[in-house]
Amino acid sequence: MAPPEPSATAIFYRNLGWLRFVDRFGRKGSQIVDYVGGLAELVGEAIVGCVTRPFYAGEVLRQMDELGVKSLSITGITAFVTGGVLALQTAYSLEAFGGKMFVGRVVSLSLVRELGPILTALMVAGRVGSGITAEIGSMTVTEQVDALRSMAISPVRRLVVPRLLAILIMMPVLTAIADMLGILGGLAIAVLEIRMTFQDYFTSILQQLQISDICSGLSKTFFFGFEIAAIGCFNGLQVEGGAAAVGHATTRTVVLASICILVSDFFLTKLFLAI
Amino acid sequence: MSATLSATAQLPAPAPRGETVVEFKEVWKSYSGRAVLAGVNLKIQRGEVLCILGPSGTGKSVALRHINGLTRPDSGDVRIFGESIVGHSEEELSPVRRRLAMLFQGGALFDSMNVEDNIAFPVREHTEKTPQEIAAIVAEKLTLVGLPGIQRKMPSELSGGMRKRVALARSIALEPEIILYDEPTTGLDPVSSEKIAQLIVNVNERLQTTSVVVTHDIVAARTAADRVVFLHQGLFQFIGTFDEAASSEHPILMEYFRAMGFPCGTGVFQAAPKGV
Repeated sequence: MAPPEPSATAIFYRNLGWLRFVDRFGRKGSQIVDYVGGLAELVGEAIVGCVTRPFYAGEVLRQMDELGVKSLSITGITAFVTGGVLALQTAYSLEAFGGKMFVGRVVSLSLVRELGPILTALMVAGRVGSGITAEIGSMTVTEQVDALRSMAISPVRRLVVPRLLAILIMMPVLTAIADMLGILGGLAIAVLEIRMTFQDYFTSILQQLQISDICSGLSKTFFFGFEIAAIGCFNGLQVEGGAAAVGHATTRTVVLASICILVSDFFLTKLFLAI
Repeated sequence: MSATLSATAQLPAPAPRGETVVEFKEVWKSYSGRAVLAGVNLKIQRGEVLCILGPSGTGKSVALRHINGLTRPDSGDVRIFGESIVGHSEEELSPVRRRLAMLFQGGALFDSMNVEDNIAFPVREHTEKTPQEIAAIVAEKLTLVGLPGIQRKMPSELSGGMRKRVALARSIALEPEIILYDEPTTGLDPVSSEKIAQLIVNVNERLQTTSVVVTHDIVAARTAADRVVFLHQGLFQFIGTFDEAASSEHPILMEYFRAMGFPCGTGVFQAAPKGV
């Protein structure tokens, strides 16, 4: 005898787990689409704000100091130490092949093409991206952003554009300084630990390093800076609730900006290698 | 910070006194499927102080934020100075917003600026006045709100009541035609609440403005209001003078007044003379 047909209710409950999964997946997808759409809208408004009046030049300068100059210590220390470690590791790895003279070459190329931009961007994402979200997020929950809007002042022009421009200007500067400090860190280790001469180290660098290497490394930083500023500002403006929401938004900025930097670095590297 | 366009040259002439300056027409607004405003209608006349009363969480602030376009209705029309603002972009809302000011619940002073810069901020943004003229405006407005000489203080150094008064000084810096007050007395002691309520009346009379006050403070409403509206379950359940509200036998209004510690429907609780 054939088993009885399951009732519609039984079928519904059997599929409930799947339905919940599909529902949750759909909601998450919808949230992602909303987020990307909102971010794109903000970026569009910010680009328009960069080229039209009113333009807050003084605020751009203040943000260049706040977001750029004050990040110099953390990005500089990171690069200097990384340069030293890189020199040490390279010497250790190549010693067996008699390749100690390549230390300067490896350190400078690695730093200028890749590590300088990426480490600076990650440090800036951590320090500046989180700071932007925390500041704008606090302004949002304390109605300061609404106060701007109620005074017929665009929060995008007043808050987003100066931060975006400040980061776009300062990221290449920070990266260039980080590259130099990283090379100096490598030099310190090369001279003190590996017993290379100053001249050997720099000759090795000058033989290999080209302008195109420096350009490709610095070009990436515009994209990284753009990602940090856009995500930081957008997450700040999206905050709803209180202090806990500001904290979550800040964390989200650091995570998302870091992921975007790493993923975009891959594609930018491919692009610059193709060029 | 750069100066921007001069606002005054572009603004239309003020509406005549007594004319409707704010109008809600069948305004609906829902959050998460719950109708906070369920087709409300309201007309606010130039020169009056109108208090929107109601329990917390009923949508009083939402109604207020429709007036300057910070919140947009799901349907219906909001007309300011006779012109619909529904569907306007932020840029299109700018001319209307320059004629309005809003006092936020927590003051919303900019933390990074001192009192002088906070009050001067909208003046610097929308006019081309000299620093001396701006300093004079700041001093005058601070005197008006009873806090002369605190220009150099930071917002963090001020008490709750002082913050609200500084925020009020900032709101009136450009001498707006309509001032929106969002819970101006919340979190203040009774004496400070009464001072703020009296200040609302004084500012309204001296600057010839229209005031819309959202509050659940009946005492403040008694001091300040020419008319009160009572918002409950998404609708304005009562519109009239404070005396009429105090002697009303509207069951929801009576329940609210009694819950706030005042007898209602008996005529016992009457409005005090305005500004006293």
